[in-house]
Amino acid sequence: MEKKGNLLEQIADLDTARRNHIAEKYPEMLWRFEMTAKYYQRVAKAKETGEHLAWTNFAMVPEVFWAMDIIPVVVEGICSLTCQTPQQATKYIDVAEVFVPDYLCSANKTAIGAIHAGAVPPPDIMVNPSAPCDSGLMTYPLLAELYKNMSYFCIDVPYFRDERAYQYIAGELRQLMSFLEEKTGRKLDLDKLRQTVQNSSVAHDWMLRGWKLTEAIPCPVRSTDMIQDSGLLMIFAGTPELIDYAKMRYQTTKETADKKESGIGEEKIRLVWTYGVPVYDYSFYRWLEREYGAISIPGQNIFDVNVLADIDDNSDYDTILRALAEKVTFMPMSRECGGPWEYFVDRTLDICKRYKADAAIFGGHIACKHSWAIAQLVKARLYDELGIPALNIELDVFDPRMTDLDTLKAKFDDFLAML
Amino acid sequence: MSALQELTNISSTVFNPAIKSWKEAGNKVAGYVCTYVPEEIIYAAGILPYRLRPAGCTETTEADVYLHHINCSYVRSCLEYGLGGNFEFLDGLVFDNGCDHSRRLYDLWRETVHYDRPFMLYFLQVPHKVTDESIAFFRDDIAKFKDDIEKHFGVEITESKLRNAIAVYNETRSLLKRIYDLRQRERPPISGAECLNVVVAGTATPKDEYNQLLKRLLEEIQQREGISNYRARLMIVGSLLDDPAYVNIIEELGGLVVTDGLCFGSRCFWKPVESGDDLLLDLAKSYLEHPPCPRMVNTPSKRLDFVRDMVEMFEVDGIIFEHIRYCDIWGGEYYFLGNKLKELGIPVLALEKEYAIGSTEQLRTRVEAFLETIGG
Repeated sequence: MEKKGNLLEQIADLDTARRNHIAEKYPEMLWRFEMTAKYYQRVAKAKETGEHLAWTNFAMVPEVFWAMDIIPVVVEGICSLTCQTPQQATKYIDVAEVFVPDYLCSANKTAIGAIHAGAVPPPDIMVNPSAPCDSGLMTYPLLAELYKNMSYFCIDVPYFRDERAYQYIAGELRQLMSFLEEKTGRKLDLDKLRQTVQNSSVAHDWMLRGWKLTEAIPCPVRSTDMIQDSGLLMIFAGTPELIDYAKMRYQTTKETADKKESGIGEEKIRLVWTYGVPVYDYSFYRWLEREYGAISIPGQNIFDVNVLADIDDNSDYDTILRALAEKVTFMPMSRECGGPWEYFVDRTLDICKRYKADAAIFGGHIACKHSWAIAQLVKARLYDELGIPALNIELDVFDPRMTDLDTLKAKFDDFLAML
Repeated sequence: MSALQELTNISSTVFNPAIKSWKEAGNKVAGYVCTYVPEEIIYAAGILPYRLRPAGCTETTEADVYLHHINCSYVRSCLEYGLGGNFEFLDGLVFDNGCDHSRRLYDLWRETVHYDRPFMLYFLQVPHKVTDESIAFFRDDIAKFKDDIEKHFGVEITESKLRNAIAVYNETRSLLKRIYDLRQRERPPISGAECLNVVVAGTATPKDEYNQLLKRLLEEIQQREGISNYRARLMIVGSLLDDPAYVNIIEELGGLVVTDGLCFGSRCFWKPVESGDDLLLDLAKSYLEHPPCPRMVNTPSKRLDFVRDMVEMFEVDGIIFEHIRYCDIWGGEYYFLGNKLKELGIPVLALEKEYAIGSTEQLRTRVEAFLETIGG
């Protein structure tokens, strides 16, 4: 692997190596890795092939990019892959902290550091929504500034979710489409946008059906399956590949669920993670499963509704933008954190009920000021209304130096002993 | 008593003499957190707008039960005072989505600060962009804000009352600008700390009374000889700063603060509200377009231009960029603005701080070194 230079190429090589390993050792699971391996290779080669890249945010709707033949690259996704090679992520975080405050989000710092280190080539476009957090709000204009004259667009997302907000965001998306047309020199093909959104809707339907099955006790999938699936929706929604993936995910989940089998061996405890989940070392979830029979339900990563369901062959541009606008507000984290705390607590209570949680885990990403501000309120409500205990734990979902694996395990040893 | 002394008395306490008189006369007070809330609506309802300011709060023991240490100390101090009853004189409180910290203050206030009397808690959503659409959107929210104030307090905000409010506030803006203009002189007649007292007092005084004080102040300071024993002319830019003692420390070392880019400063009054046929639209436009906080996207060049113009107008030798720790918005802004100012050859000192001044030695050392660096 080329050590110096392009981080995107390194990620692509890493993902391809993982895919090849799976192909050799566990060919029956290859369907789960094929899509990302091809995607990261495509991202890495975009400059050579002349494809447009858009750096974007996990709370954005990727359908608009796929419809314009632009490849969306979720900045937080880069971080979550990079941090699995610990020296890589922390290196870029350290570089960033020379320039920006240490308390910005590590996902954002990774991107800032990687750019400063000259480790990533500039994208063609950057787009982010104003929700859900200030760190993201500030980072994208900074990144655009770092790459002199980078084309940048922000979708303004109102604080309250209602029809007026959806119409306003739809207007923002309309302006975004014009911006994308101008920057790429391509005209929007309405048929293609409609098809992309319909693809997304079909994929969401399959995913939602699969997630519904995971509410069963025992849970038919492993903890990490659900964590990874939401990341795929944030990148691939709108592509035909995601439909194939989601269908396969549903079928395999159903096979296990029909047999009333667990995805983790014997399930003894059900933990619902109500906020962040650490992604710097997935072995942690395996440890919880093995040592305690504890399944981790990543509550925030689960989509609840398919707001694109009504889009059909006759839907006009306004209707499509209106549906996508609503989806902007339903993206994980924006959904909970982009408005008053009721959005957070109501959904948290709902998902803990749906999944029959034995305990709730607030994985408090140390950069998330808005969620830490209400963490105690949420904990109290969970106990008062559902009678379940909650562990509020400080961590950095990307940077293991904040709360390393041993510390994390020790905290869970204590908490689960109490349970 | 001089006008400056009166204004200083007002700014130095939370429940100041002006509010006390106002309440004793049976009037209402409504707090607000951020300068994107159009005060004119509150004023036109016959209510005193009061910018929430937990002056003197040095511990946040009760607030820390709910808030985390990564929440900014201004917000923690506000909640501490809320829980402790220090803002009991308020009859309402208006929050907005200015930042992640302050928007959560709204949630916490609703859940933890209890009143046994009617109290209006309100959240005004403020767009992050300035476009025709965002101005129209904000206009509708201001209209709803107006309606809800009318309903809650049983008052009517007529067009003439609102037009009068805009006129009164524009007079305030004009008077404050005249005071700032005097600071362009080689010998400014008023120090930065004094001026911060003046501006802060305006956020906690009935504006008619305040305007009279400002007129008297203008007459008083015109007579002054002016300050000449300074080492450098400075501008303070950054997040919320309402403590004149902080500026005083800088000025004791010889750095005279001649202007600022603060929301408790020039950014809250630099541009008048231009009124036409639709006053709510005028307010929406003016508030969104005022010298921007970096929470407003697509405004970096506007922010830079504002600071650069100030530097030229006030012949600034160096900039102190301060921000409260854990403020992503201003913490990130330094990266942009600091670099740009350095490219322009304008010296900048970045200072991270807490809401309450703690140890002053580090601040003194850094400012002293900065003054030496810029040849002061």
